[in-house]
Amino acid sequence: MKKCNFENLIDEYLFDRLDETQKKSFEEHYFSCNQCFEMLEEKNEMIAVIKANGDEIFRDVQAPAKIRRSWLEPVLAFLTPRQWAMAAISAALILVVSIGVIPNLKTTPPEFFINDDLVRGSSITLISPVIDNLDQIPSEFKWQSLGENTEYKLFIFHEEELLWSTTTKENFVTLSENIKSLMAPGKKYSWQIKAFSPEGTFIAVSSRVQFNFVSSQ
Amino acid sequence: MEKRKKDTDIDAIVAKYRPVVSFRVKKSIGVQTPDWEDVVNEIMINVVEKLKKGEFRGDSSVGTFIYTITSRRIIDFIRKKSKVLKHAPEPNPYLSPHEHVENRERAQWIADSIKRLKPKYKEVLFLYYYQELSREEVAKKLKISPRRVSERVNYAQKLLRKVMKE
Repeated sequence: MKKCNFENLIDEYLFDRLDETQKKSFEEHYFSCNQCFEMLEEKNEMIAVIKANGDEIFRDVQAPAKIRRSWLEPVLAFLTPRQWAMAAISAALILVVSIGVIPNLKTTPPEFFINDDLVRGSSITLISPVIDNLDQIPSEFKWQSLGENTEYKLFIFHEEELLWSTTTKENFVTLSENIKSLMAPGKKYSWQIKAFSPEGTFIAVSSRVQFNFVSSQ
Repeated sequence: MEKRKKDTDIDAIVAKYRPVVSFRVKKSIGVQTPDWEDVVNEIMINVVEKLKKGEFRGDSSVGTFIYTITSRRIIDFIRKKSKVLKHAPEPNPYLSPHEHVENRERAQWIADSIKRLKPKYKEVLFLYYYQELSREEVAKKLKISPRRVSERVNYAQKLLRKVMKE
C-alpha cells in the first residue's frame, strides 16, 4: 500500500493541532483520497475507544509508568498520610519550642554556687599578695573595694585547711604578729575574700590565690 | 437511458461521500449538536441538486466540489448558531464513542484488542493518544526516537485494523 503524504497529518487533525491552512488542505484532501479517509475513520474510532475506556485499557501500563515517574512513592508509602501529618506537626512543635521558647528561658542571669553559697555575677579582684616566693611574711592583704557599706571576710588557708579568718569593713587587713607566728617559710598558703551586704547577704567572692615566703624575717 | 445512467452515478456519489461529509460535519459542529444530521442531509440534497443542474463542470474533482459545498454550509451553520449562542460550537477533538462506534459491543471488542497488544505498543498508545503527548514528548519519555514512536503507533494501528475489519 502506497503511503500518502497526508497520512501523518491524520493524528494532528484529530487532535486539532493543525493551523487553518493545513487543516483546510487536509480536509480537502480526504474528500478525494479514499485511503486517507479510511485511515482517518479508523484512527478516530480507535481514539474514541481509547478516550472512553483508557483507564481500564491501560491499567497495567499506567502502573509501571507511575513508579518510574516518582521514586518518592516508596518513601511516602513508609507512613500513612495521617502519620505524615502527625510527624509534620511534631516537627513544627519542636521547631517552635527550640527557636521560640528555649532562648527565652535563658533571660535570667546565670547563677552558680560556691561552698553552697549563692553568688550573683560580681567578683572581687585581689591586689596583694598575688605572687609566690615573697621574701618575708606579708603583713598586709589588700583587694579592690566594692564600695561603702560592704563587709569583707578574709580567709587564710594552709594547704586546704583554714588557718585564720577575720572580718573588716576596709579593703585591707594588717596581720598581727600573733597570726604571723602561725605561719612558717616554705609552706603553701592561700587566701580568699568574700563580700557581704550590710544585711549580711553574700554578694561576691574572690578567687583563691596562693602565696608562700622564703624567710620569716 | 442517458438520464438513468446519470442517476446511478449520482447515487454512487451520494453513497460514497455521505460518510465523508458526515465526518466533516461532526468534526466541525460536534456530535453533541443534535442538528448535525440535518446539516448533512441538507448538504447532500444540495450536492444532488447541483449535480443534476450540471453545476459540476468537472474541472476539479468531485471530492473538491463536495468539500466546497460542505465547508460553505458548515460556515453558515456556525455563523447562525453563534448569533444565538455567542460562541461557535467547540470543535470536537474526537467523536463520541457512542456516536461513532455503532454499539457498545464493538467498542468493547476494540478495547479488548488494544489490551491484548504487547506492552511496548500499549505504552505508546497510552502516551500518544490517551495523554495526548506529542510524538517528541513520547519519544523522550520512553527514551526511543520519534521515528520509532511513529512506527509503533502505525504498527499497533495495523494490528487493530485486522480486528476492526472483521
